[in-house]
Amino acid sequence: MKKLSVHIGLVTALMVSAVAFAPEAALAQEKSITTVVKISGIPWFDRMKTGVEKFANENPDMAITQVGPATADSAQQLQIVQDLVAKGTDALAVVPMDPSILEGIFKRAMDRGTIVVTHEADNQKNTMVDVEAFDNDAYGAALNERLAECMGGKGKWTTFVGSLGSRTHMQWVGAGEENAKSKHADMELVDPNNESFDDANATYEKAKEILRKHPDIKGFQTSAGNDVLGVGRAIEEAGLTGKVCLVGTGLPNPSAAYLDSGAITAIGFWDPQKAGMAMNAVAKLLLEGKSVEDGMDLGVPGYEKVSVKQGAGKGQLVIGNGMVLADKDNYKEYLF
Amino acid sequence: MRKLDGHLVVLSVLVVVLLVVGGAASDGTYLSLYNLQSMAMQVPEIGLLAIGVMLAMCAGNGGIDLSGIALANLAGVASGLLALSLFSADDAPMLFTVTFAAGAVLVGVAGGFLNGWIISRFGITPILCTLGTQMLYTGLAVVLSDGRSVTVGSPDPLYEIGNGLLFQVPTSFLIFCAVAALLSAVLRYTPYGLQLMLTGANPKAADYSGFPKRRIIATTYTISGTLAGIAGVIIAARNVNVKWDYGTSYLLIAILIAVMAGVRPQGGYGRVVCVVLSAVVLQLLSSLLNFVGLSNFVRDFAWGALLLGFLAVGRFALIEQFASIFALKRRPRASRV
Repeated sequence: MKKLSVHIGLVTALMVSAVAFAPEAALAQEKSITTVVKISGIPWFDRMKTGVEKFANENPDMAITQVGPATADSAQQLQIVQDLVAKGTDALAVVPMDPSILEGIFKRAMDRGTIVVTHEADNQKNTMVDVEAFDNDAYGAALNERLAECMGGKGKWTTFVGSLGSRTHMQWVGAGEENAKSKHADMELVDPNNESFDDANATYEKAKEILRKHPDIKGFQTSAGNDVLGVGRAIEEAGLTGKVCLVGTGLPNPSAAYLDSGAITAIGFWDPQKAGMAMNAVAKLLLEGKSVEDGMDLGVPGYEKVSVKQGAGKGQLVIGNGMVLADKDNYKEYLF
Repeated sequence: MRKLDGHLVVLSVLVVVLLVVGGAASDGTYLSLYNLQSMAMQVPEIGLLAIGVMLAMCAGNGGIDLSGIALANLAGVASGLLALSLFSADDAPMLFTVTFAAGAVLVGVAGGFLNGWIISRFGITPILCTLGTQMLYTGLAVVLSDGRSVTVGSPDPLYEIGNGLLFQVPTSFLIFCAVAALLSAVLRYTPYGLQLMLTGANPKAADYSGFPKRRIIATTYTISGTLAGIAGVIIAARNVNVKWDYGTSYLLIAILIAVMAGVRPQGGYGRVVCVVLSAVVLQLLSSLLNFVGLSNFVRDFAWGALLLGFLAVGRFALIEQFASIFALKRRPRASRV
């Protein structure tokens, strides 16, 4: 019992001294922006980190860093965000693992005066600004236009999505269909919306089936990151390289071999490096007490003329034009 | 007098050391009232699950509860959907909260009982049984919620549970402490507590002594499930939303906390107060690393080092040995063996 009371005494003493120190510490602080990603140590967010570091170099008077959980678990990300809010970080730029789980802490953060900026979370209610790389409809249409160009505007084509429940994927292929219907009447959509579950092997099997069923198929538009790899392999193995077009979302590094061989016509993506910089640029604006206006230049390539809409909650939805379509000739500029 | 408990001493010292280091490393922000509250808010959900794991371990026979976080999520999802369909959170916030909390705890009790029933009735190894129910509960939560998150919202009383303060202490932390104190008392003063530890220490002897073994095991897993249900309420109250895949990393962390607290994985020994302190230590450490801005991989490393350190403390009874050396020096004649 005695030991316990000693402990309580110690803790109280520490707390009192902490309260006494706190104002002094606050004075010397530079403004800080911390980027919190879904998971650290994977290529996508390593690429984002290069952007955050670049932004930090351009703003030496601010403390700018990127952190993320070691495991893909929304609870771990929540913990990091909560600690950062408690630490008194001035602005948070978060790529939510699961927007719904972070609603509570974001609300408390904003109540406390912390600036909150998000990315890839256009359904986030408690955020000041959500930054999206591009308009999903425009992206889907652009992918389809690239496909149509390769197909010469005619022939059978099909689509892949990660899953039917994936909102963005359905938006992309939906906009693609719309584009084909209105501009290229000779393109015939067959067996649309195949589910790939982002599994390159399953996609490969599925694509082989489609190639057998429709020997005269001319094009594939895919959505999940691994789809191009599966379909590309099927096209290559069937000896149809150059005869069948394939345009879809993918990353430059893994797709490199198929892009070189021509099995993949083009890949579309947005550059996480630029997205990281854009988030930080918005956070900096908000820290300076300014706001994001329609048509504004964030000073980041692809975000020179952003459009601003009302977000899911009270915050703004800022949409850039950061889509990248890379093919054989230019993918090397984006190796990640 | 009770024997000196090495884990309790080391954990208490660690709490103080971490607070001091954190205060020094962050110019005091770490020790600000806001951060202390923020850290205290984070402890309960994982702490409750860890106590559940401890109880299962104490029951012996390879006892463990892998279904904790899955059951907590199921409790939140199922009860959330039920409460949402019955009451409007805006019109009847009190009724909504009570229904939700009661429902979640009930789901926890039922899920825990299912574990206990399967293990005691069919003699299935706990690790296999709870692995199965873990998947079952996760699957149920996915089906019920269509894989989406369920918004329970933040009606006042519920919000208070997750984010409110009572005398400057987070309500959820007080609930956690109350539950821990209650269980601690049950383990120490009731026949059930004694029988649980003895069954874990030596199942055969317990059998021959005529202990109601099945009932003890079923009760233990039911309590563990109940704790998961309470954790589900706290998670929902804190996050406004519940989802089936929340906290997948908690499974291993809960076991880590229990082992760090000196719970014997072979069964028969464990103290609730040590589990509470152990959960606090892990929280202090991970918050400290977040404050300093170190990579989260360093955190895993630090946890691993801590775990090994604690295993050594337990295995070689380091603290007890130090203590006896001191005692011998002070009183050379004292005969302590």
